[in-house]
Amino acid sequence: MVSEDTIVAISTPPGRGGLGVVRLSGDRALEITTSLVKFPKLPLDTQRATLGIFSELASGRALDQVVVTCFRQPHSYTAEDVVEISCHGAPVILRYLVECCLERGARAAEPGEFTLRAFLNGRIDLTQAEAIRDLIESQTLYQARVAAQQLEGSVSTRLQPHKQVLLDLIARLEAGIDFAEDDVAVIEWQEILARLDRSRADLQKLVEGYKYGRIVREGLTLAIVGRPNVGKSSLFNSLLNEERAIVTPLPGTTRDLVAETANVGGIPLRFVDTAGVREALDEVEKIGVERTFRAIADSDLRLLVVDASEPWTEENTLLLQRLRPLGALLVALNKSDLPPCVSLVELEGMVQADLDAGVSPSQVVHTSALTGAGIHELKEKILETAAPARDLGLEGEFITNLRHQQLIQDSLQGLTKARQAAVERLPHEMLLLDLYDALRPLDLITGATYADDVLDIIFKTFCVGK
Amino acid sequence: MLSGFTEKYDVVVVGAGHAGCEAAMAAARMGLRTALYTINLDLIAQMSCNPAVGGIAKGHLVREIDALGGVMGEVIDAVGIQFRLLNTSRGPAVWSPRAQADKKLYRAKMRQELESEPNLRIKQAEVIDLLIEDRSAGSLPRPVGVSPTRREVASANPDPAGPRPALRVRGIRLRDGRTVEAGAVIVTTGTFLNGLIHCGENQYPAGRSGEPPSVLLGEALRRLGFEVGRLKTGTPPRLDARTIDFAKFQAQPGDPVPTPFSFRTKAISQPQTVCWITYTNAETHRLIRENVHRAPLYSGQIKGIGPRYCPSIEDKIVKFPDKPQHQLFLEPEGMDTYEIYVNGMSTSMPIDVQMAMVKSIAGLERAEMIRPGYAIEYDMVQPTELFPWLETKKIRNLFLAGQINGTTGYEEAGCQGIMAGINAGLRVQGKEPVTIDRTQGYAGILIDDLVSKGVDEPYRMFTSRAEFRLHLRIDNADERLTPLGYQLGTIKLKDYEAFLEKRQRICAATKFLLETRLDPDSRAGHEIYSRLGLMDSGRFTAPAPLTGAQLLKRSELAIDDLMAWIGEGLRSSGGDNGPRPQGGDGGAQGPGEGVVHVDSLTREEARRVETDFKYAGYLQQQEKQMERMKRAEARRIPDWFDYRKVSGLSREVLEKLTKVRPLTLGQASRIPGITPAAVSLVNCYIEIFQRRAAEQASK
Repeated sequence: MVSEDTIVAISTPPGRGGLGVVRLSGDRALEITTSLVKFPKLPLDTQRATLGIFSELASGRALDQVVVTCFRQPHSYTAEDVVEISCHGAPVILRYLVECCLERGARAAEPGEFTLRAFLNGRIDLTQAEAIRDLIESQTLYQARVAAQQLEGSVSTRLQPHKQVLLDLIARLEAGIDFAEDDVAVIEWQEILARLDRSRADLQKLVEGYKYGRIVREGLTLAIVGRPNVGKSSLFNSLLNEERAIVTPLPGTTRDLVAETANVGGIPLRFVDTAGVREALDEVEKIGVERTFRAIADSDLRLLVVDASEPWTEENTLLLQRLRPLGALLVALNKSDLPPCVSLVELEGMVQADLDAGVSPSQVVHTSALTGAGIHELKEKILETAAPARDLGLEGEFITNLRHQQLIQDSLQGLTKARQAAVERLPHEMLLLDLYDALRPLDLITGATYADDVLDIIFKTFCVGK
Repeated sequence: MLSGFTEKYDVVVVGAGHAGCEAAMAAARMGLRTALYTINLDLIAQMSCNPAVGGIAKGHLVREIDALGGVMGEVIDAVGIQFRLLNTSRGPAVWSPRAQADKKLYRAKMRQELESEPNLRIKQAEVIDLLIEDRSAGSLPRPVGVSPTRREVASANPDPAGPRPALRVRGIRLRDGRTVEAGAVIVTTGTFLNGLIHCGENQYPAGRSGEPPSVLLGEALRRLGFEVGRLKTGTPPRLDARTIDFAKFQAQPGDPVPTPFSFRTKAISQPQTVCWITYTNAETHRLIRENVHRAPLYSGQIKGIGPRYCPSIEDKIVKFPDKPQHQLFLEPEGMDTYEIYVNGMSTSMPIDVQMAMVKSIAGLERAEMIRPGYAIEYDMVQPTELFPWLETKKIRNLFLAGQINGTTGYEEAGCQGIMAGINAGLRVQGKEPVTIDRTQGYAGILIDDLVSKGVDEPYRMFTSRAEFRLHLRIDNADERLTPLGYQLGTIKLKDYEAFLEKRQRICAATKFLLETRLDPDSRAGHEIYSRLGLMDSGRFTAPAPLTGAQLLKRSELAIDDLMAWIGEGLRSSGGDNGPRPQGGDGGAQGPGEGVVHVDSLTREEARRVETDFKYAGYLQQQEKQMERMKRAEARRIPDWFDYRKVSGLSREVLEKLTKVRPLTLGQASRIPGITPAAVSLVNCYIEIFQRRAAEQASK
């Protein structure tokens, strides 16, 4: 069986290793790859590694040097065209690459789908069939689990109202067509447009939250906060120094804010050093302090630096309380090279206790700006914490999220076409075609809509039939 | 073997309603000796409910029946007394014809059609049993006339969903004791199986009003082990036109130019009439509310499930209490009768309440009732018992069609009838069955829905059930189905030739519009470009003249504006454009020695061309989706496939798949509750089982 679409997934284990591999399989694997990665020469040799540059879609800014190997069908794992792209980058880069592939028409692979294709295409023999069965079963279980999770909350629940708005509109239009002989009020174009715009705005908001691309494009802002002499500046410098490419030192927006941008794992990371928070706590009325806290609040992520060689202070607690409501927060227990004043475990416990009181995601890292210990880990945490999806640890859930993002995007595309159709006053049955195109992707998240479901709404809403 | 039959036919059809007539006609036209059995010869093709054919989506079905060579379209065209093309305010995909019928003439015309078919015999007799042969290994041939018990059925075929039924129908038994041998039997009993009429507190067994029910055959079907359900439908009172003040109503005339149903009808020539529209009022509603406890629907007397899209008036009042009035249509039942059908007032209220309801309406104060409305409960067989070619899974060569499968409507019945007739014919001829898929027609949607999902209320067609609605239009039903009809023998050679000519005219016009640019200096060009604002004081302002295809994309223009230009262009191109479509043996030899007059493009054909251009973008979008569905449809699930051996399927999914036994992965995916993961699991196991079998074979 020839599969109809090209699938893509990150095929290396989650987390940050030395390399990460993104794999594509299907007719369009090569085409998609060459549209994203620049190579010194084309066409690519098969079964041989080729160096290329993966750049950001919009700006063309180089993100990572990648190694690409392509396997032409049927001489590949799945017996379809397969491309493997090895990246150095952070998980965020891998995900952005997958996202780019989706944008170019690939579909996020279901768990085990590569192996399933290999089997269906005769690449795996019957003796291995049991393994496949287990795989598919786990896929079924996985989907059941995801479905259950979704029913409990998160995506499905959030989508349900949007889907309902869409379904109501569909039902109204369908009623007009199938019960044209009954006195069903015809829905006005203005009303149709208003409903479409509402749906679009809602979904747009949802999809924005998923975007890895946005991070890659716009970068992140990290505010470094702490009492004086806790080692903010040296930590700041070692975060910068460890990277090969320091991009540009930017002038601070105010005298007490210093900002610099560095490339961390392909992501432009803007550090905002906030001196003077101590004064802020004492002299709250000062204008500059307001500004400082605004900058801290506007950041994507906050890093509270605490001197681990000193006893815990009231001030630290105050700062934590102040930072907690602002969103993503990391705590660096710095100067871990010095003998700790209180035991590290105790200190960590204290921070944790304070953090637990709040609802913000929190992580504690032990660092030493002096020895460089924990700096790498801190960077990981920065990237992971600031990426909008909080569940980056689990690749499966990443796929789910990515799949959702793709589906919602597809849905939006349908709505945009529907809007155009409404503007052009096309007949309702054409408009409906676009609306069904918008509905179907949502169905894949929330469960199928059948023709009878639409009829149910019609019969509940309108007194139709003779 | 079986012996002692009094008569022998290739195909026997039980019931001469709308399904039975089409079934018998199709089988006979395929060259099979066919007999049609009815309880009352004078009531063939009786319109037991409203005196009309077609309507939205139903009109599509009639066109498809007609395109396959069925009779319904031509019959209604001959006896229709008011034609209207519905939904014309929307796009051509949802236009649908509807016509009021002269009920008596409809029966007469249908009987005439049936009698003119040489291979068809019409018989009056009540069929009371099916004669079944057990062909399982070791069992003796069953003596004539003894149906197997339910247990025998079960033991002869331990897994009812299993591969090949050991049971086969051999004929029918009539009430008078005769037995008739048949290669295949089609049962189309409508509402007759254990029919029970309700009218207020009264209830009595009946098939339709004034006709006896078919109890023994109903029992026989239950005994054979079919899953039987109980449905309900209803009909409104009929009034005497002489007692109605029509001046109080709004007249609803037919279209000035009637749209025929049949591709073979040239024009509608018989006299036409009008219908009338009026409304219920507060008084009507009060009467109903105060007496609702006497309605069998609410007193618990009726157990069967009624259709939500065809609610009784009492249902409408109860469910939509805020609606101040409900529309009623007064429709004549014929040209030479005073009987008036009150469409919209279906009811099973007691007769005294019905009378009061009627009289509460302005213009009906003096109205006299000719027949009261009533509700009827009847047995149906769950259509999941059927293959998509309408043969039962339990008993080979036995087909079911029409209301017995849980549908309502003459059109839905007729559509199943013709498909059952065709497949019974193919079965007898020893050929593979034919199905229509969801991309090809409403006929395919209807049957696929029935056999994949079963029914829990009477099934009616809606255009919203069609995934590919834009493609399934009334104007191209012949394009979609007539070649198949010709291949099967249900479409006659001369009709097929007419179709090929039409196709050629359409091809030529399409080609012309694609290739020819409208000359701004021509008269037509000057006029049309001026209208588009592309002429400035006599000078053409666009970079290049537009092709017909480009012109049609402009919303300001319709094909009617281009007709003169197209006609002229086609005439001057010599009348024979492009390659002639190939049409099987000899089909291409038209009556006019192969010369086709492409310039005689009709208005409907022109509209068809216009639709293809105007909505090209959307049509292409659907075509892509159609391709996807066709691929899923191509992945067959072998009939030996055992779902119980698939681990990982939930019990609910397993039960559904075992019950329906979908033939393809596509069909499986349409069964409600079957997840994509379950489908891919089945897909995987097909591969595993197939390879295992191949491995064993090679050992």
